[in-house]
Amino acid sequence: MTDPRTIRIVIVDDHHMFRTGVRAELTSLAATPRAGAFTLEIAGEAGAVESAVQVIKEQRPDVVLLDVHLPGGDGHGGADVIRACAGVQSGADVPVRFLALSVSDAAEDVIAVIRAGARGYVTKTISAEELLTAIGRVADGDAVFSPRLAGFVLDAFGATAGEVAEIDEELDRLSAREREVMRLIARGYQYKEVAKELFISVKTVETHVSSVLRKLQLSSRHELTAWAMGRRLL
Amino acid sequence: MVALARRVSQDGTVQTAYENGTGPVRPAWRATPRPPLVRQRQGKVIAGVAMGLAEHLGLPVVAVRVALVLTSIPFGAGLVVYVFLWATMREVGDVDPAVSSAPTLSPGGPIATGPASAGTMSGSPGVRQHHVDLAGLRTWLRSGNQAVIITLLGVAALAVAGALWLGGAGLDVHAELILPVVAIVIGAIFFWSQLDDTDTLGARRPVRWIWLVVGLGLTILGLVGLLVRGTNLTELWQVAGAVLAALVGVAVLSAPWILRLWSNLRLEQAARIRATERADIAAHLHDSVLQTLALIQRQSGDAATVARLARAQERQLRSYLYDEDARAGTLGAALTAAMGEVEDLHGVPVQLVVTGDRPMDEHLDALVKAVREATWNAVRHASPPVSAYVEVGPDAVEAFVRDHGAGFDLDTVPDDRAGVRESIIGRMERHGGTARIRRRADGTEVVLRLPVRQPNEPEASSAGGPADPPAPVTDPSSTAGSHPRSTPDPDPQEQAS
Repeated sequence: MTDPRTIRIVIVDDHHMFRTGVRAELTSLAATPRAGAFTLEIAGEAGAVESAVQVIKEQRPDVVLLDVHLPGGDGHGGADVIRACAGVQSGADVPVRFLALSVSDAAEDVIAVIRAGARGYVTKTISAEELLTAIGRVADGDAVFSPRLAGFVLDAFGATAGEVAEIDEELDRLSAREREVMRLIARGYQYKEVAKELFISVKTVETHVSSVLRKLQLSSRHELTAWAMGRRLL
Repeated sequence: MVALARRVSQDGTVQTAYENGTGPVRPAWRATPRPPLVRQRQGKVIAGVAMGLAEHLGLPVVAVRVALVLTSIPFGAGLVVYVFLWATMREVGDVDPAVSSAPTLSPGGPIATGPASAGTMSGSPGVRQHHVDLAGLRTWLRSGNQAVIITLLGVAALAVAGALWLGGAGLDVHAELILPVVAIVIGAIFFWSQLDDTDTLGARRPVRWIWLVVGLGLTILGLVGLLVRGTNLTELWQVAGAVLAALVGVAVLSAPWILRLWSNLRLEQAARIRATERADIAAHLHDSVLQTLALIQRQSGDAATVARLARAQERQLRSYLYDEDARAGTLGAALTAAMGEVEDLHGVPVQLVVTGDRPMDEHLDALVKAVREATWNAVRHASPPVSAYVEVGPDAVEAFVRDHGAGFDLDTVPDDRAGVRESIIGRMERHGGTARIRRRADGTEVVLRLPVRQPNEPEASSAGGPADPPAPVTDPSSTAGSHPRSTPDPDPQEQAS
């Protein structure tokens, strides 16, 4: 993230006012000089599943800001967009990354898009600065968790009840370190602060979060599958 | 507006119902309008017709019952009247859209019988006594044998009636005439008894198909018997075949008709349920969202108020949408309520995350209060974002309240110091927990820990447990010296003494 670069994004949301707001906020913020900053280019906007898929395939952006609830498609909103865009690559020949945005913190909404393949999840009340950081992180292929999502992960993997994975590769439980990272994120810590607290590098924190994300996407843990089945996602 | 008007009128209705039905003093005859003619559920013996009739006429129930039985004896007139009323009277509580102001909607309806008969008749204690005596019988009747009793009563009444009538007319008793009629009547009673789908205690009960089949069979047998009187067996089969063929024909012809009627009814029912739901949602939105939006428009100049209103409304709408009432009485619900209170008072959003949950007890109540106090401090003296994380583990509940900015300075705000000591640290320690306040580079974090017992665990283990359990998260105080970044405050940990 040291070299100045441009991240191209597409904003997908069915509320025109919200798109306009995000665009204005991000443009003004990305224009101000910051340390280790990247420049932002808003490549397109869309308000429904079909138009979103079309715009993403045309523009091949680095990151898509994706609303969880969208009209059109098979009725699964954002998850439909992610599935339809599977295999689409950005200009840098890496897969297009999705960052889910929602007004709702309800677990079933979040889990649907995460399991479809989104790299992160933030609520719409997030500050523009944090959103910019999250976009940069997702563009790098890392994961972004909101405190609420971290809390849900801890619940769903039984980490609160003391279940810990014996080996890191185990999909149905979190490792001790992953659990610590999730707990700190749930407490409202930024990645930087998590790293400081655990005496590890920010990169290591990102690795742990990505690993949790992978478990969240692939795990067949009962609670997750029940949700997914209920929403006909499997 | 529609919803509001409707609700007002409903309130009016309830008011009216109260005045009409359950007034403590009830003038005897024409002073108030009669109660409506409806079948009662509570205290009924067969279908509640006599009870309803008695209340409507202002007569004692026993008198009505006796009159019905007596009039049944000569020509079965009372029975006919009873069955007719049974078929035509609505049951109390059944909503009839045509009678929107019906006092029957009042839950006090069945209770009203007591005062009603008490006001008009001195014999009402006798009525109550009578009911008590019948209680045991009624519980037996409720088990589905009601129809048998009715049948036996009917048979007895008809036999007596037949004997009297025929005897009086100087004619012989024709068994071949009487028996089919009795069979038809019994069959009809069996069949219709299933129409009344509530039992004597007013609870819904399923339709018993066996009674329907038996009733139908008896009725058909009776009809056939009546028609083939005096013919021989071969002709009987022919007649039976003819009856069967006629029945099948009628069934085949009417089936599509009945099916369409049925599906129309279902559609109508579904539409009505949808309309009710929509009205509920409209009422809720009117009360909450529209009111808040009106307030926001009026105070649009005051950003802080607008933000506070919007946040409070968002919280309320969320709990409505995600049905958070379902977990009332748990730690999660109590925390949500406490954080909502803080947000309302100060207008600063608080991000609350709770993992796990357990039912409230007095220790958890203390924890909630301490979390509330810590959050309250944070929103007053620090800068947002303020976040609270509560983790319910197998042997302890841990709470973290975190803020950003300067934080509250214990030295310069002596009053708050006392508040923090007493409301947070003191409270936690009284309940066997611990409280720590950590100063960080960019804010303050209050860490609370309360050991909890599993329901099956003995008391003793918790007494030794909370002595000094280290927090599972790396404690910065123990590593402050080697910490690469030293916090501005040299004393990162504050323990109450």
